[in-house]
Order: sequence, then C-alpha cells, then structure tokens
Amino acid sequence: MRKHFILGTVAAIAVAILPAVSSAPSFADDSTFATCTDLASCGGMTALIKAAQAEGSLNITTVLRNWADYGDAIDSFQAAFGVHINDDNPDGGSSYEIKSIQTAPEASAPDVVDIGASHIADAMTGNKSGGSLFAPYKVATWNDIPTAWKDPAGYWFGNYSGQIVLGYDAKLKVHPTKISDLLNPAYKKVVGIAGDPTGAQEALITVMTASVANGGSLDNVQKGVDFFHKLKTIGNLSGANADSTHIATGNPKVWFDYSFNALGTQQAGAQIGKTFNYVKPSDAAVMGTPYIFGVSATAPHPAAARLWVEFLMSENKGHLAKDLAGDEATNVAAGTLDGAKLFASLMGGQNIFTLGGAIPIEQAAMAKKKLLVPSPTSIFQSNPAADKLTLQMPTVAQQTTATALLKTAWAKI
Amino acid sequence: MSQTSLQSTLSHQTAEGALPVAKRMFRLDKSFLGILPFLALIGYFFFYPLAVVFNESIHDSHHHLTASAYKALFGGDYRNAFIGSFELAAYSMAISAIIGALICWAVVKTQGHARKLIIAAAGVLTSTGGIPLAFSFIAAFGQEGLVTKILLNVFHWDIYGGAFDIYNFWGIVLVYCFFQAPLMVIIFIPAVENLKVEWQEANETLGGSRIAYLRFVVIPVLAPAFISSCLLLFASGFSAYATAAAMSNGTIPLVPLLIGNLVNGEVLADQANQGDALAMGMILVCVLVFGLYALVMRVSRKK
Repeated sequence: MRKHFILGTVAAIAVAILPAVSSAPSFADDSTFATCTDLASCGGMTALIKAAQAEGSLNITTVLRNWADYGDAIDSFQAAFGVHINDDNPDGGSSYEIKSIQTAPEASAPDVVDIGASHIADAMTGNKSGGSLFAPYKVATWNDIPTAWKDPAGYWFGNYSGQIVLGYDAKLKVHPTKISDLLNPAYKKVVGIAGDPTGAQEALITVMTASVANGGSLDNVQKGVDFFHKLKTIGNLSGANADSTHIATGNPKVWFDYSFNALGTQQAGAQIGKTFNYVKPSDAAVMGTPYIFGVSATAPHPAAARLWVEFLMSENKGHLAKDLAGDEATNVAAGTLDGAKLFASLMGGQNIFTLGGAIPIEQAAMAKKKLLVPSPTSIFQSNPAADKLTLQMPTVAQQTTATALLKTAWAKI
Repeated sequence: MSQTSLQSTLSHQTAEGALPVAKRMFRLDKSFLGILPFLALIGYFFFYPLAVVFNESIHDSHHHLTASAYKALFGGDYRNAFIGSFELAAYSMAISAIIGALICWAVVKTQGHARKLIIAAAGVLTSTGGIPLAFSFIAAFGQEGLVTKILLNVFHWDIYGGAFDIYNFWGIVLVYCFFQAPLMVIIFIPAVENLKVEWQEANETLGGSRIAYLRFVVIPVLAPAFISSCLLLFASGFSAYATAAAMSNGTIPLVPLLIGNLVNGEVLADQANQGDALAMGMILVCVLVFGLYALVMRVSRKK
C-alpha cells in the first residue's frame, strides 16, 4: 500500500542503517504463538489475547490511517486489547515491507505485512534459504475467503480491495460521471492519477480501468495507455500526484482514486473548507486485486500478530472500542476483560474496511450471513448507470502483463 | 594496538629510557584517534551501505550471482532515465550557475547588511530542498498558488493560460534552481571575493579596457572555480530525489524515481537488485563528476 514514497525512502535508509537496538524482552517461552497455525492450536481467543497483552506491542508497516479506515481499526485494537501499535513508514510500499522482514533489526521488524498481490511470489521465496517469509496461519474466518485469494497451507490470504472511482472538487462547473468525461477541455492540467503505475498498484489499476472504459481489456491495457496519452496530449493530465496532500493544494481537481481513500480525502478536505465529491464511473467498474496479509515467520510479537489478523479478518458487526457500552466498556477501561467475550463484541476488521469504502474479501460470505454493515452511501454521488455494471477484477498474471507494458510505455505517454 | 598494550609498551620504553620514541608513537596514535570518529562515520554511513548495495546489485532475489541488472542499465527505460536525470542536472546546473555567478558578482560589490543578508539567505535556501521546497513552490506557483492568484487578480495575467506548468520537466528544473542557485552563491563567492581591486586598477593604469580585464583577468582567474562549482551543482541536481518525487507521477523518467519504485514500490516485484544496480550507476556518475572536480582543482592549483 502506498500513496507516495518520499518518506518511505528516508525511512528505508533509516532502517538499513539503524543499529540493532538491543531488543525488548524475548518471548522464547511463548514459542507456541510463533508456531501455532490457527486459533485452536494457539489455545483459543482468550489465551491469544493474554499472550498479545504480555507482548505489549505490535509492529505494522506502511499503513496509512485514512487508507481503508485503518485508523479506526488501529484505535479500536489498541483500546480494546491494550496492545500498542507501532506503524513504520506509513507511505511505503510492498517492496519495502518485504525488505523490512528480511533486514530490519529484530525489535523493529514488522509482525504482519499488507502487501500488493504482485509481491506474493517474492515473499514466498524471500527468506535466506529460499523459503517463505511468512508463517502459516489460518484465521477463524478462513472458509469465507475466496479460494483464489488464499494459500492452501495458510501462508498468505487476501484482506480487502477497492474499486477505482473518480474524485473531484465540487466547485468545478462540470462534474464528471465517467472516465471519458475527463477529456473535457474544462479540466485543463488538473486530471490526476495517484502515482506512477509502475510503482503504485492504485495507479496500475487505474490504467487498467481506463483500458476497460476505452474498449480495451484487462488482458491488454494499451487502450488505457492511449487514453492517458490523449489526456496528456490535449493538456488535461496533471503532473501532480493525486494524493490527499496535492488534492488539498488545488491540483489535481479531478482524479482517480481507490474507493477506500474517498472518505479520508473528503474528511481532509472538510478541514480546509473544501468539498470533494466522489462518483463511480459509468464506463468501467474495475476493482484492484486484493491486498494480502502475511504473518511474519520471524515476528517479534507472534501472538499480537495473530490477534491482529484475527481482528482484521473478523466478520463481527459489533462496535468500535470507543463505542462499546456496558460491561465491555467497563472491562476495557479497567483492563479486566474476558478476551473471547470482548472480541465477539468488537466490530471486525472486515466491516471496518467496509465503512472505509473498501470491498472486504469476505464480502460475499458476510452478505449471505447478514453480517455485512451497509457501505456508507454518503461517500459516492448517485450514478445509476454505474451501479448496473459488474465489477471486474484483474488476475495477478494480468497485472504482471500490464506492468511489463507500462514499464516502457508510461514514461513515454 | 590496544590501549593496554600501548601503555605497557610506553611504560616499558620509559623504563628503558627511550622516551622520545614512545612520545612519537603516542603522538601518532593520538592523531589517528582524532579522525577515528570521522572514519567510523563515513565507514558506517557511506562505505557499509555502499557495500550492501553493491552486494545486492549482483544477486537476484534468490541469492544467485547475476550481472543482468547491470546489463539492463544500457537498455530502454533505464537508459532513458539516465538521460532524463542527466538533462535535468545539466539544465538546472547551467541556469543556476549563471544566476548564482551574477548574484556573487553583485554581492561582492555591496557591503554591510545587504551582503550578509544575501549570504545568509543563500545558506538557508541551499538546505531547503526536498518536500518543503516542493510544497512552498506549489503554494506560490501552483494553480491555486499565492503568486499565481496575485498575478491573475492584480495584473490580470493568467500564467496558466499558456504552456506554463510546474508539474513538468521545466517545472522541476525551475524548482531545482531554487536550491541550486543559492548553492552556487555559497561555493562560488570565495573565488569572486579573491579578485583583487588592485588587478582592476592595474588593468586601468595600463590602459586596458573592461573587456580586456574580463578576458585576461576575471575569466582565467575564475574559470577553475566556476567549472568546479558547476560540477558540484551537476552532482547535486543529478542525485536529488524528494523534490522530483513530490512533483511528478512517473511521466518524467529520472533515475532516483525509478530506484524509489523498485525498492519501495508495490508493483514491480522481485527486482530490488535492479534498483541497487541503478544506484551503483548513479554512484559511478557522481564519482566521475567528482574525479573531474579533483582534476580541475589540481590543474588550477598548479597555475
């Protein structure tokens, strides 16, 4: 995950050169939690929570708070379980996450990573002897994850995804409803894409979406490249990165975004008196490949790591920790909770992602079980034509083919 | 030599009455100790990472030895990126060198507070690169920037009416000049200050014209410093990353940005060693530039 990577590189250098600060208490006696492969073999939820609390903290990496509503998930987890979360390099990307597992000093190594699907192969052969960087772990909701997006042995599993949507400044006279609208001369120099498609998955999926909108396909994204070439030739394409910082500066004014960034960008805009609208385009409905969780095989906090993925993959409707009431709230405040009971009353990560505008990987199963909270309707402008489209999702192979094309084509558009 | 063995040697030799030798040894050791922190620093922050980068550049992600990453540097995208970085460095160097030299020329003619102010400002601006500079630039000259709005509302001049944009190659060149020109002022001003008034007076006394003064005194005296300053500017522009990263989305091929995508991106998997090879390529270019710099300095000192 990433929006931009400036801070990322600074942090990458920092990690590479920081001395191995003598590490916090070792959990050698908790070896069960470094090797247990599901809730049952970990001794159940209450035991897992107790062990996570004893570890005291959790290292995550490259997580942005306003990305898929991660901020709420972090706050709720910290408040409910009293486990402090360290987030390293919020703006970084998957290559950095994998590198961190391989090279970071033990105390600051990530416990869990959230990587782009293109990096699965890399991670599965990334340790010194060519084996997986991840430890196999199957969350309680394992059966509800679509087969295509989980490793049969449990080394990795999908978590959430987003659809490519259009964002725009509400002050614009003409509001876009489809991707071809972006060719309108009214949008001179202000149409933005979120990064370089050879560096950011969001931008890559954007080009794939543009391909579909222009009569191309996910197999061959040349039509998408042509569309951006046209945008550039007529002078509409902005060179500014479509991240919330640049959007706040007033350029771009129309941009492609993942659906789960919409809420955060709208909130950021509201703080500076700007209204940003979002709409699902009516000429292409494409979602990205899901992001992928892997629990590090060398996690410094193995129990907290497993609790974190259980929490984020949980389908519970429940409440965020701050919204708990009654016994649960008292228990959280006093730190005297019965783990399993509290966990059951907390809103699960899959629903928190939904609230952030993301598409949780367990969506279909949750809908069937009526566990899915409604996706917030206030985020997107009404566009009935867009709702009729069927969402398409590229395969990892299609992404790889598109990347190979873009590696030469993008710099020349 | 460890501290204890040194001391035992010392006391032993003192006992033998060979104090001068011991003293010399001790002095030698101390001077070495003096630069030890510095050596440790560059060793840890420069040579160690360099060795790591080099080692990674010659191994693929499965730890097999390979030179493929280096071969790729000469083809397609990577070659274009080197050309792009070269052009960016060259243009920002040329513009900044001229502006900076003119400022130097003007500054040495002034005295007192104005001069101190300009030099202090140059010092501050030189170190204001990266993201802060990019965003101050956007805040000033962006489409909703302050300067843009003032020009539009007060002078009715829409700078965005034509081809002007800060988010393209020339925009980045312009932004780079904001830290490159002050850098030029700082490194070039000592040379300009060394031009003695007496030389100009001598030229006039001997009936030389202003052009003769420029041609036979100023240019020969300043040329080595000017060229070496240019080389420093080139290296600085060639290697800058954060400003360009904050102001582009990959449509401008630049080596540092490609490295960012390869080592920190999430699309190109399995190619971190390519980023390392690109980094080695950049280091090579910088070594060549600094080699030239050393050469110019040596030649100028011989004169």
